[in-house]
Amino acid sequence: MNIPNVQFPNVNHLVHAYRVAPWRVQRQWIGNALLVVVLFAMAAALYLNVTSRTAIAGREIQNLTEAIAISRQVSSDLQTQLAGLTSAASMEKRAREMGFRPVEPDELEYLVVPGYVTPEAVDLSSSDAGPLTVLTIAPAYNQSLLDWMDEKFLSSTRSAQ
Amino acid sequence: MRQQYGRRSQVLAGMIAFFALAIVVQMTRIQNSPEAEIFRQQAENYAYEYRTFYPNRGEIYDRNGRLLAGEKIVYEVGVDLNVMTDPHAISFAVADTLGLEYENLMQVIQNPPEGINYIVLADYVESSQALYLQELKKALNEQAPEGSLGGLTGLQFKSHPQRSYPEHALGSNILGFVNREGKGYFGVEEKYDTLLAGNPVTALVPTDPNKAFEIPDAPDGTTLVLSINRDLQAAAEDILDTALGTYGAQDGLIAIMDPRNGELLAIAVSRRMDLNTFWNYDVVYDNATEFNPAISKTYEPGSVVKIFTMAAALDSHTVTANTTYLDTGSVLIGGVTIQNWDRNPWGVQNMVGCLQHSLNVCMVNLSTQMGATTFYNYMDAFGLGHLTGVDLAWEAPGRLKVPGDSDWYPVDLGTNAFGQGIAVTPIQMMAAASAIANDGRMVIPHVLYAMVRDGRQYEAPDQFGATPISKQTADTLSEMLAISLENESSLALVPGYRVAGKTGTAQIPVDGIYESDATNTSFIGWGPVDDPQFMIYVWLERPTESPWGSETAAPVFAQMAQRTVILLNIPPDSIRQQIALK
Repeated sequence: MNIPNVQFPNVNHLVHAYRVAPWRVQRQWIGNALLVVVLFAMAAALYLNVTSRTAIAGREIQNLTEAIAISRQVSSDLQTQLAGLTSAASMEKRAREMGFRPVEPDELEYLVVPGYVTPEAVDLSSSDAGPLTVLTIAPAYNQSLLDWMDEKFLSSTRSAQ
Repeated sequence: MRQQYGRRSQVLAGMIAFFALAIVVQMTRIQNSPEAEIFRQQAENYAYEYRTFYPNRGEIYDRNGRLLAGEKIVYEVGVDLNVMTDPHAISFAVADTLGLEYENLMQVIQNPPEGINYIVLADYVESSQALYLQELKKALNEQAPEGSLGGLTGLQFKSHPQRSYPEHALGSNILGFVNREGKGYFGVEEKYDTLLAGNPVTALVPTDPNKAFEIPDAPDGTTLVLSINRDLQAAAEDILDTALGTYGAQDGLIAIMDPRNGELLAIAVSRRMDLNTFWNYDVVYDNATEFNPAISKTYEPGSVVKIFTMAAALDSHTVTANTTYLDTGSVLIGGVTIQNWDRNPWGVQNMVGCLQHSLNVCMVNLSTQMGATTFYNYMDAFGLGHLTGVDLAWEAPGRLKVPGDSDWYPVDLGTNAFGQGIAVTPIQMMAAASAIANDGRMVIPHVLYAMVRDGRQYEAPDQFGATPISKQTADTLSEMLAISLENESSLALVPGYRVAGKTGTAQIPVDGIYESDATNTSFIGWGPVDDPQFMIYVWLERPTESPWGSETAAPVFAQMAQRTVILLNIPPDSIRQQIALK
């Protein structure tokens, strides 16, 4: 059987036409490289964002802690000032200026008041006393991004197991 | 041409990639080199530092919640040399406001130690003075020409707490004081220094201010509530000061205790100091025992000891209240003749008369009848010559010589029975007498009523000492003492209240010889007799108005007792008995 010798004069042309152009390949490489760069930039930006927020939170904590310490100092100072104004000497002086004088024993008259209970000594217990001394800063504020990723990875590994 | 351009691009890209790779390789190599490890170690050394956080010192309150010791804000005034513009202005302003030497300040500012950028000019500056300087700095800044800084630029203020005593000298002998290093001296401040100061917390702190770090919670020092009643303390000091003037006494004290539980309600002494100016300690006191003589000063108590001799005689069944004897005015013991205080015989006396007339001969008879062993066993059981355990610093034990001691002589058995030849403290006398007022059981005197920590108040339990005598002996002796005061129409009697007590008049030994013209007078008493709620001890040193306790200390006791029943809200016996019947 004779096979006719068929000629395809346009094959080379078609191959050439459908082959990826070199500039396309270059663009793909450039695109991929840029994608990697963008991904790195995004990660760096995220890292920078978290780090800066952590730093700001740290500063705020320091400022607030200092404010608490100063408030306590001011409170103690005011309390001491108040105690000075109501000291025994001050109160006696004020009372005498207002015309009062110490009572004499023969001027006293004791009345029996049913149900009266002589006051006991002071109780300085605070109503909101509760257990303290636990650290209250969330880990998000002092944990790096890598620490966070590491923790997540470990926790996911554990849960998978 | 195009291929050639492409090849050049590839070569260029390759070179750039090579350089980039080389940089990465070099970075990796440097970071993992031995030198890098050294640098890392150095960085870590400076990244954190150990810092100690000191808690605020606990406060001190009286039993009614009145603040006796707290904290106030004071300032450290310093200058930042890096931003300072006018050292003359700063020196002048600080010197003028704080009363410092201008030249000294200039010297300090202009010749700082090498490498120092901040210099402290003054510390513990009062708020008002610091505020004035701050206002002055602000005003000068506002008045400064546009673009320039005020003359006090660089002047800085750092606030910090300082111990403050709002009652100043009131109860200074009880409280003690805290120096600028935060250490307590004398009284409660020294005795409970560790509790009040709290526990400093040391933590590893990042030096990078941008690193989040929570300052560890250093709980404040424990707050103390004392059994002291501030108003009673003020009244006692007032009465004592008046008594010193009235009777011309050199020194003195009044101590008030609840004999049921040992709570000290007031301890007034004649020498007091404003605790806010504790650096004047040397000006006020000659030695440490003068700070609180109620616990630190030992002396011969005199006739007050007779109640313990009588207690021992009654409890050992040597005598009863009705036992009589013939008082001849003198008795020989250990080769020495002992006489009564008036050198006269008192004839036939029972034991009430013995106490009422404070007869030395009677006491010598009692001690010799009991014998040295029994007598000294009782005195020891009463705590004479021992620390009472009062929770105040600098308590002295006193001295009771006993047979066997190198300096004990047979005559001591007689003289000790009426309070000569022994050394005690006022607090010891009160602790011993509490056995008579408290059914035979001694209390341990104390000033701590409660402590407050983390918002919770913990009350200190009452503590009791020995039981040297029985309840029956205590009741009998209390009754005898009350009757003896009533028979004598003593100046110690308190209208409306039945009290028991005993005067004391003691000669003063100087280098082993008694002074002929000076005495120490005292009175110890308690009431109401059927339900003792207060015990008062009065001691006056060298009164010039009268040498006798019955004429000096006894009326002071009555005066103090009258104020005490008012301030402690103790109704007269008649009212109290009516209430009890209902």
